[in-house]
Amino acid sequence: MRIMLLLLIAAVVVMPLSNVEAQKAKSIDELAKMFDSSQCKSCHAEIYAQWENSHHARSLMGVQDGLMMTPLAKKGSTPFSPDDPKKATLKTFPCFKCHLPQAVAHAEDSFAVEYAEALLAGDKAKVGKLKITCIVCHNEKAIIHKLSDGYPEKGVLYGSKDIASHPDATFKKVKKSQIMDHAIMCGQCHGLGPNLEFENPVQCATLYGSYEHNYLSKGGQQQCQECHMQKINGKADHLIAPNWNDLEGTKKLLQNAIAMDVQTVGYEWLRKGGDLRPMIVVNTKINQNAGHRIPDG
Amino acid sequence: MTAKAADGKEVFKTERHYHPQATNCKDNKMLYGAQVKTQYIRDTSLQPFETKAESFEIPLPEGVRAVDVTVSLTYEINKPDNKIEIFKVTRKVALDR
Ligand code: HEC
Ligand code: HEC
Ligand code: HEC
Ligand code: HEC
Ligand code: HEC
Repeated sequence: MRIMLLLLIAAVVVMPLSNVEAQKAKSIDELAKMFDSSQCKSCHAEIYAQWENSHHARSLMGVQDGLMMTPLAKKGSTPFSPDDPKKATLKTFPCFKCHLPQAVAHAEDSFAVEYAEALLAGDKAKVGKLKITCIVCHNEKAIIHKLSDGYPEKGVLYGSKDIASHPDATFKKVKKSQIMDHAIMCGQCHGLGPNLEFENPVQCATLYGSYEHNYLSKGGQQQCQECHMQKINGKADHLIAPNWNDLEGTKKLLQNAIAMDVQTVGYEWLRKGGDLRPMIVVNTKINQNAGHRIPDG
Repeated sequence: MTAKAADGKEVFKTERHYHPQATNCKDNKMLYGAQVKTQYIRDTSLQPFETKAESFEIPLPEGVRAVDVTVSLTYEINKPDNKIEIFKVTRKVALDR
């Protein structure tokens, strides 16, 4: 008997899940590796060196290596603190929204446990591995219109123009980001006011609010990048000063940004007939030329 | 700002603090720390396109006819002893011409 068998196999092509939603990081090392940008150094050496000295490259211990989030890991110290670091979750650290945004989308609670333990142990070397790297700005934070433009793609960097073939081994393409040269690129982290999406309010940087409401309203029209990322050797400066650990350099910046006028006079003021009162008057006028309040928060 | 008499004695000293100041809205005590700050209660920071003007009147004690006035503008970073002195102006001011 011959049977003609028509066999139809409809095979579902199983896409490796990691292609769509990558595995989340369970530990500090895993998250650090996921956003590691050290490979950029070989070709973008100057930008890399500027960035390494910037606050973005030490976003969890910016000023004088302070482990500023330690209170959140300490029992009873803040409304967010867990009773035990082992119970820490991503919610323990609302600060990640801006200080380490990659943790919010790409880490598991076990990462927060290790971080809480590192804080309590004062382990600066470990905490120092976590940064706002090149990939955070040039991928993760480069698209804000996610409904209309989609989420940032794997293997693609976003810059100020399209580059069809980018010579990096992982990031083979550069696409134009709509916001790279706009203040809102920075405003994603530099704060509008209180952050009310958390179970308790959190208020840190509010500088972008100051820019939006009190700089533009007075006729100021520059973007953050125009003042903070002026070109050095033709490339946008990634130090993004001020660097508060460089007191001498910052002094110069502040002297350029702020003007102080002092006028003085000494005289005898006549309160009423026969009542002369010796008096010194000091008048000060202070101006600044930034695109927002100084200082912030 | 400080004013000192000829013998070096301080005749007058005052400070102005320019910065946004927040509470947790539960009481009127100012707080530091992003985890507790909730709303600004006052903002004395330097604003763009605005002049911060002060006028200090210093009544002089008996017998003092001249003082050294020092005005110093300093930026404090996270704690008072970590600071940058941006400007310091010292001037002798006398009652007599
Ligand atoms: C093998 C060398 C090489 C490596 C590695 C490399 N780049 Fe590039 N990159 C280039 C070259 C070349 C250009 C093109 C410059 C041009 O045409 O303006 C470029 C362009 C860019 C641009 C676009 C610049 C613009 O005008 O907007 C960005 C952003 C960028 N690189 C970021 C990175 C980041 C982030 C990394 C690390 C993940 C990296 N690059 C790694 C060589 C490299
Ligand atoms: C809305 C975004 C945002 C959130 C949320 C946020 N920060 Fe910040 N924080 C910033 C930015 C941006 C800066 C630096 C610029 C500035 O100070 O204006 C900063 C600066 C700081 C500084 C001063 C710099 C330093 O290194 O000492 C400390 C301390 C700090 N943040 C702690 C926290 C803590 C703790 C939390 C969570 C409870 C938190 N921040 C939440 C954006 C944020
Ligand atoms: C992913 C979030 C994020 C983005 C995007 C971002 N910043 Fe920041 N920035 C921070 C954080 C967090 C700090 C403070 C880190 C610290 O010192 O603890 C900081 C620090 C700074 C500082 C140092 C001064 C200070 O007070 O700490 C400057 C200046 C600055 N940012 C400007 C910019 C500009 C300009 C842009 C846009 C081109 C930008 N930032 C984009 C999060 C961000
Ligand atoms: C018109 C120029 C200008 C624009 C626009 C501008 N800045 Fe600044 N910014 C300055 C100057 C000047 C300073 C003070 C000098 C210094 O420390 O570098 C400063 C200081 C800062 C600081 C330190 C604030 C503090 O607490 O003392 C941060 C953070 C910052 N800028 C971020 C931004 C961000 C983010 C934007 C866009 C939303 C922006 N700046 C727009 C000129 C500008
Ligand atoms: C805080 C966010 C941020 C970080 C971190 C960051 N960049 Fe950028 N980068 C920008 C912005 C914004 C621009 C566009 C500046 C402009 O348009 O003036 C830019 C521009 C560039 C350019 C084009 C420069 C030019 O002027 O032609 C290159 C290349 C680049 N970045 C590479 C890097 C590399 C490599 C790193 C890591 C070492 C890095 N970036 C880290 C925000 C960032």
